[in-house]
Amino acid sequence: MKMGCLNGTTISLSCLKLPFPSYPSSFQNVPFRRTIKPLSAALQTSPATSPSTTKAEDQGARSHWKAAIDFKWIKDNKEAVAANIRNRNSDVDLELVLQLYDHFFNLQKEVERVRGERNAVANKMKGKMEQFERQRLIEEGKNLKEGLIALEEDLLKLNDKLQLEAQRIPNMTHPHVPIGGEDSSMTRKLVGSAPEFSFPVKDHLELGKELCLFDFDTAAEVSGSKFYYLKNDAVLLEMALVNWTLSEVMKRGFTPLTTPELVRSSIVEKCGFQPRGNNTQVYSIEDSDQCLIGTAEIPVGGLHMDSILAETLLPLKYVAFSHCFRTEAGAAGSATRGLYRVHQFSKVEMFIFCRPEDSEHYHEELIKIEEDMFSSLGLHFKILDMASEDLGAPAYRKFDVEAWMPGLERFGEISSASNCTDYQSRRLGIRYRPLEAPVASPKKSKSNLAPPKFVHTLNATACAVPRMIICLLENYQQEDGSILIPEPLRPFMGGRSVISRKS
Amino acid sequence: MKMSCLKGTTISFSCLKLAFPSYPSSFQNLPFRRTIKPLSAALQTSPATSPSTTKAEDQVARSHWKAAIDFKWIKDNKEAVAANIRNRNSDADLELVLQLYDRFFNLQKEVERVRGERNAVANKMKGKMEQSQRQRLIEEGKNLKEGLIALEEDLLKLNDKLQLEAQRIPNMTHPNVPIGGEDSSMTRKLVGSAPEFSFPVKDHLELGKELCLFDFDTAAEVSGSKFYYLKNDAVLLEMALVNWTLSEVMKRGFTPLTTPELVRSSVVEKCGFQPRGNNTQVYSIEDSDQCLIGTAEIPVGGLHMDSILAETLLPLKYVAFSHCFRTEAGAAGSATRGLYRVHQFSKVEMFIFCRPEESEHYHEELIKIEEDMFSSLGLHFKTLDMASEDLGAPAYRKFDVEAWMPGLERFGEISSASNCTDYQSRRLGIRYRPSEAPVASPKSSKGNLAPPLFVHTLNATACAVPRMIICLLENYQQEDGSILIPEPLRPFMGGRSVISRKL
Repeated sequence: MKMGCLNGTTISLSCLKLPFPSYPSSFQNVPFRRTIKPLSAALQTSPATSPSTTKAEDQGARSHWKAAIDFKWIKDNKEAVAANIRNRNSDVDLELVLQLYDHFFNLQKEVERVRGERNAVANKMKGKMEQFERQRLIEEGKNLKEGLIALEEDLLKLNDKLQLEAQRIPNMTHPHVPIGGEDSSMTRKLVGSAPEFSFPVKDHLELGKELCLFDFDTAAEVSGSKFYYLKNDAVLLEMALVNWTLSEVMKRGFTPLTTPELVRSSIVEKCGFQPRGNNTQVYSIEDSDQCLIGTAEIPVGGLHMDSILAETLLPLKYVAFSHCFRTEAGAAGSATRGLYRVHQFSKVEMFIFCRPEDSEHYHEELIKIEEDMFSSLGLHFKILDMASEDLGAPAYRKFDVEAWMPGLERFGEISSASNCTDYQSRRLGIRYRPLEAPVASPKKSKSNLAPPKFVHTLNATACAVPRMIICLLENYQQEDGSILIPEPLRPFMGGRSVISRKS
Repeated sequence: MKMSCLKGTTISFSCLKLAFPSYPSSFQNLPFRRTIKPLSAALQTSPATSPSTTKAEDQVARSHWKAAIDFKWIKDNKEAVAANIRNRNSDADLELVLQLYDRFFNLQKEVERVRGERNAVANKMKGKMEQSQRQRLIEEGKNLKEGLIALEEDLLKLNDKLQLEAQRIPNMTHPNVPIGGEDSSMTRKLVGSAPEFSFPVKDHLELGKELCLFDFDTAAEVSGSKFYYLKNDAVLLEMALVNWTLSEVMKRGFTPLTTPELVRSSVVEKCGFQPRGNNTQVYSIEDSDQCLIGTAEIPVGGLHMDSILAETLLPLKYVAFSHCFRTEAGAAGSATRGLYRVHQFSKVEMFIFCRPEESEHYHEELIKIEEDMFSSLGLHFKTLDMASEDLGAPAYRKFDVEAWMPGLERFGEISSASNCTDYQSRRLGIRYRPSEAPVASPKSSKGNLAPPLFVHTLNATACAVPRMIICLLENYQQEDGSILIPEPLRPFMGGRSVISRKL
């Protein structure tokens, strides 16, 4: 049963907030406590934490990566930026950023001025002159040089401070996004209806136990809580879900990928996550600057880092299969049983790089793909336009899908689709060269080439396996405890139509 | 073309030693440099390195896990054990172990004696006596108690030292295993023949580049060297290999599993690996006692740790799909290009728990399954009986399969099958209760139940995806640069029979 929701209509259904596929928001919902060094400490060069093969990129040190932030734009639109920061409940200090920027801007001018003076002195020295005059110029040149070195040093440090603060500014927000907390999120669409059962409904843990599908207890001994083994038909179900999802998304023109699951922490940061904050979701590797990925969004974003793409290549559409690892630090409470919240899971992720003018279109395309897939599996779900406080720093707009989970008697999040506009691309350094050069512009840098622009990036969950397993088990349970397999998955399970007890 | 190799016949083919699926041996081939603290330091209680939720199990502290080593057997067979240590080029110190054991044995007797005396004193005090006599007994009892506490403390420390040294003793060796280094390994079987090409042969990297199958360069930026993205048809090939392998092995009665890829370091150690040694193959997680698995053998072994299984359950046969992570520290040289040696890969692993008298039979079964699968893919390969210096501490006997890789112009290891007898089960604490009780034995502990015995464990690679991809690309390349897909995999690739350039 589809119910169209007009703008302004809020349907409040009791909903279990399980923010995990929406990776940034699950972090943002946690008290924001990133380790910010006091400015004085930030000025000291920090020692590298990792072996010589990698840069000390995760320190607030001179070598920390720089985001291509448009400071002028921020300054020209400071009210809008300030309002956005408030709406998102972010604690970034905009005033400080603007002060640092002005300071930086002026210092940069000063540096240019002194450089100019030094060049002038150097030029003067080319001509003929008296010895004492030459000596005086040499002195002057030397003073200017020393002064310049000091100023340039200050400029670098100031840039570091500016970057540190400015990188915290969240992305702007789509005008249709509801302002407020999770209760303000708006339902865009409602699909299907809750199945009716003529027998007592079991949750996925109970169903899994009877069918020998999981082992959580031994996994707790071997690895820790929130780990699990999948067994028997659950393995086939995972493989079927992954295979089917990849196949469905590939049909729609996405390029399949598998990715590294260990990445440098700087890449994690550039995608908008905080590997080193308190309550971080990110596992770090000992004696290394590497981290485990919490989503394939990260290595896929990194696929085109520091590149200028030809416009004809866009849009680039990828579908990536990977394992994902999350600490789930700070995630407490009832929603932690069984497969709801786990440290390791398989996920198929969609990712698009496109031109700015196309990102809203592709956001709609991504959510449509998700809708089609979940519908074809017969799920009952709703699509939410997430409210401003739930977006996560990189997302301009975010649609979440929550599916009905009869065993939980609530809706639970099964996917998330974000339009990150140029937030990630400005950090990852991903640009494209527009085809048409502007006509005879005096500001052109290289002959007739248009200057490169930042791409927009989008990401969306095609299939988060544990959440899907919960949905399938709980919705398709039969009275005898067996599970009906939805039609689309049967070819991927050797034609089988039921998961039943092993005889 | 099958060529059976009689015992004693050595066929020497130039062979690329790629020790990676044979996980323990690749570690053992490196200079053995585990961090052994001097004994005095070992006596001090070390602080926990990890948060309160996990024990400081990787420290040489009182709480370090204990292996159920049969010291009496070692003592009674010390020449054989010493010869075995020499044959395996191990630096375990047998003399030290035997000395520590004697001391431990005697100290244990002393403790029992003092306990006896203390009990005697306690008994005496039950009767009537003069006050002075009672006082004297109380004094005596107190002294004995303090002495006992000190002795028990010494006993614990001695046990720790004994365990530390004894755990290094490698497994015994099958009598048919050739003695010596890698050149002594014997070929058991040779299957198929090298394909002949009427055109210049390309290696997998070149083939992959033309067909847009891999990206190593970007992965080096995002993650580091020896990481990679699989793209396009390589993703389908990986999925096909995993799906087909799981299906083939399940047909043979193995229970499918997916496993945690983060495990406690103690479980890694109990399987016979050294997470904390120099040049360790194991990635550790920061601020945690967890490690990334290098093979599913580890979490599968852990599945039945600290258990007594009913004999009727045996054999337990599992086929596990997981991602594997290896540091490849210390692995240098030519065999590192492309997919040969990577930090992360997908693998399907077989694992058997069985009764001791059956392990040799199941070792043959495992290698037969591998041979059947590789034959059906049309590969040219040889099966080796690995020599004593190449076994790795846990393996009683190890068969490696090396497949012909035309692009490398050498054989390369694609799988390994080990019989670990009771080496792992004595560490993981996995026993079984034989069904038949011995007849009216005076030593029966509980009624008519036979005492539990340690199971034997075996593990074998069903499919190490990157090595298989190399084999398939290089062996099945066509003149036009396309790749023929072997018959068995076609149903798993949507019926396709060729990987060719994208138009």
